[in-house]
Amino acid sequence: MLVNAAILTENLTRRFGDLAAVQDVNLHVEAGQFYGFLGPNGAGKSTTIKMLTGLMAPTSGRMRILGLDLSTHLVDVKRQIGVVPEGMALFGRLTGSEYLNFAGRMYGLDRSTAAQRAAELLEFMELQDHPKALITDYSHGMQKKLAMAAAVIHGPKVLFLDEPFEGVDAIASGTLKAMLQRMTARGATIFLTSHVLEIVERLCTHVGIIHGGRLVAQGSLNELRSGITDEASPGERMSLEEFFLKAVGGPRTATQELSWLG
Amino acid sequence: MARLTPEAREQLRAVATLRWRLVVNSLRSVRGRINLVSRSIGGLVVSLAAVGGAIALGATAWELTSTGKLEWLALFFWIIFLFWQFFPLMATAFTQNVDTSAFLRFPLTYGTYFLVRLVMGTLDIATALGVCWSVGVLVGIVLAVPKLIPWAVLAVAVFIVFNVLLARMTFVWIEHWLSRRRSREIMGLFFFLVMLGFQFIAPVLDHYSKKPASQRFQYAAKVSPLQRVLPPGLCAEMLAVAHRGTPQRAVGISLVVIAYSGGALGLLHLRLRQQFRGENPEGGAHAAVLAPTSAIRPGWKLPFVSSPVSAVFEKELHYFSRSGPMLFTMIVPLVVVLVVIGGRRSFLSQQSELLFPIGAGYCLLVMTNLVYNSFGGDGAGVQFFLLSPVSFRQIVFAKNLAQLAVLVTEVLILWLGVCLIYKPPQLVFLAITFCWYLFAAPVNFSIGDLLSLYSPKKIDYAVFGRQRASETTIFASLGVQAVVMGVGALGIFIGYRYSNYWIGALILAALALPSIAGYTILLRRIDGIVMARREALAADLFKA
Repeated sequence: MLVNAAILTENLTRRFGDLAAVQDVNLHVEAGQFYGFLGPNGAGKSTTIKMLTGLMAPTSGRMRILGLDLSTHLVDVKRQIGVVPEGMALFGRLTGSEYLNFAGRMYGLDRSTAAQRAAELLEFMELQDHPKALITDYSHGMQKKLAMAAAVIHGPKVLFLDEPFEGVDAIASGTLKAMLQRMTARGATIFLTSHVLEIVERLCTHVGIIHGGRLVAQGSLNELRSGITDEASPGERMSLEEFFLKAVGGPRTATQELSWLG
Repeated sequence: MARLTPEAREQLRAVATLRWRLVVNSLRSVRGRINLVSRSIGGLVVSLAAVGGAIALGATAWELTSTGKLEWLALFFWIIFLFWQFFPLMATAFTQNVDTSAFLRFPLTYGTYFLVRLVMGTLDIATALGVCWSVGVLVGIVLAVPKLIPWAVLAVAVFIVFNVLLARMTFVWIEHWLSRRRSREIMGLFFFLVMLGFQFIAPVLDHYSKKPASQRFQYAAKVSPLQRVLPPGLCAEMLAVAHRGTPQRAVGISLVVIAYSGGALGLLHLRLRQQFRGENPEGGAHAAVLAPTSAIRPGWKLPFVSSPVSAVFEKELHYFSRSGPMLFTMIVPLVVVLVVIGGRRSFLSQQSELLFPIGAGYCLLVMTNLVYNSFGGDGAGVQFFLLSPVSFRQIVFAKNLAQLAVLVTEVLILWLGVCLIYKPPQLVFLAITFCWYLFAAPVNFSIGDLLSLYSPKKIDYAVFGRQRASETTIFASLGVQAVVMGVGALGIFIGYRYSNYWIGALILAALALPSIAGYTILLRRIDGIVMARREALAADLFKA
């Protein structure tokens, strides 16, 4: 096992009764990688991210984040990671600045640093014009940006993002992408799930594809593409979408279509 | 209404099935099944209220009808009317209701939509009780004077129809207004102030009961013409004139009540039609006015505790101070103890030294909702706690600390009120109260923390009304409060029995030791409990 990898799992498995939501997943994400975790709905992406961030216990298998075993060093790991989970983990009846201030202090920043970074992040995310608005009154996109701001306020070494660009407008999305790329350039690791393959293709250096709870492909984008040629246009590079569809069993054929649908 | 098409019938069947499946699916979890037992007990209480109320109203209606005082039936119609119209508003209107637009996206005709809204909204406790009590009045009248059967049936029928339509009409219009969070808060506060006003009914009645009978009748005579032009008074009037043998007038009066019902129906139709056409107000997003950026002030720093504890404490007090319902809850014991109980010629006003310990007990009681479901207001925010590198021991301790701060503030205000209005409580009663708090607060925090983790329920601190913890929590907390209050009362009784209240204080102080020890042990183990419960906790509070 490579102990200096940012994220490493060994036979990670999670069962819900008879259903194996995640089965023997072996992830390997090096420090500084921008890792896109893809899969169809119900493939096990969110379950995996919940286990990696300590929100859910695995049924079996091991996880190491930044070389630390999650089962024995959970709090140490939490100090070094940032997370934007599925539900965004916001406190609706705080203002944006109060929430960021609170988040910073919960991650161990002193009061003045937390306040200073909160102000910077609000400005960076263009949320500073709503100082008295409660988070519950924010739009979905604003909440997403705030959740992202809270996830990075302590300068995490690994960032887990569950669908970070969902509901975010194009301008803000560009700002966030630039911020994330700067983070990876400085050595941070980003683990991201997204349904939008174009985003993953544009941002990520490495990709893992999960299907039916099993990791069916993993590697750099170029590595993954080089192993497969496009049958329709030999010699051309495949798009991520084409590769993804191949990896998860391809699109439905015409016979599976609904005959009664006009 | 025109005959339903097969499609409309199928849609109504689908809505009924949906409601049924929601109930059945809620029983999948163990907690759901436990809650069903609690609900069954609640249902039994409602059934008793329905049957008991119907019998009591029926018996009195029989007595009044037998003695020819049919005008006095107006009193019953008014009681039923006020309950029917106000109870749903207070109990349910201020929750975040089912999003009706969910039905609007289906190809429902307006008639079907109207029917769905009318029927779905009518399946509530107020309607069930209102109908039962009205039928009780009907039976009482009919048994007393059988020849009044047609008139009694007509009067009660139009009364029920009017109430159903008026309640629905009021609800849809208020719902329209309440779709904005701020309006919901203002409206909620208004209605709770009205409810607070009900606390003064007893003193007012007490005041008028001291007046001579002739003066009371004068007041009644002044009020009577006003109430007789409104449906509850009109229904009684209809019965009275029918009994006096003037059926034409009775028919005329019934037409007026029907006209009132028509008015309610028209307004209901107007709003539902608007809704059907998609004329809904926008949500509460972007409500804030742009304001210039200002520097963010650093968070609070409490002495002797860590920075995360201070941060959670600050967050909790922000939540508390922005919650209209919570602030209101804090006002109630002060008003009740200082104004209502203390102001009347009751046992307590004579023994005013007991006002302080009893008021302090009441203050703890009203904190139940907060203490026994302390993660309920956090909703999806609980994920943040689970993701943060802070131990739950600190988080739970900070929450309890904030609850204690609120409680202490409340008790200090109470003490000040008792000192100013009556007289300063004796030192021994201060000691009893203090020692009881040392015992009762840790017991409440310990069990409250456990129930907050094992039976959490998402609540919205901004919403008035049926914002309560799970049924399991409610019953468990009631049991704990009964024991805790009982112990306090026993302490006072022992002091009274031996003519030395210091004995009671000592007993309570002794009981405080195991209570504090238990709380400390629980805090040490809380992280293990949270680790075992983390998935269920996040899932329960993440739910809409």
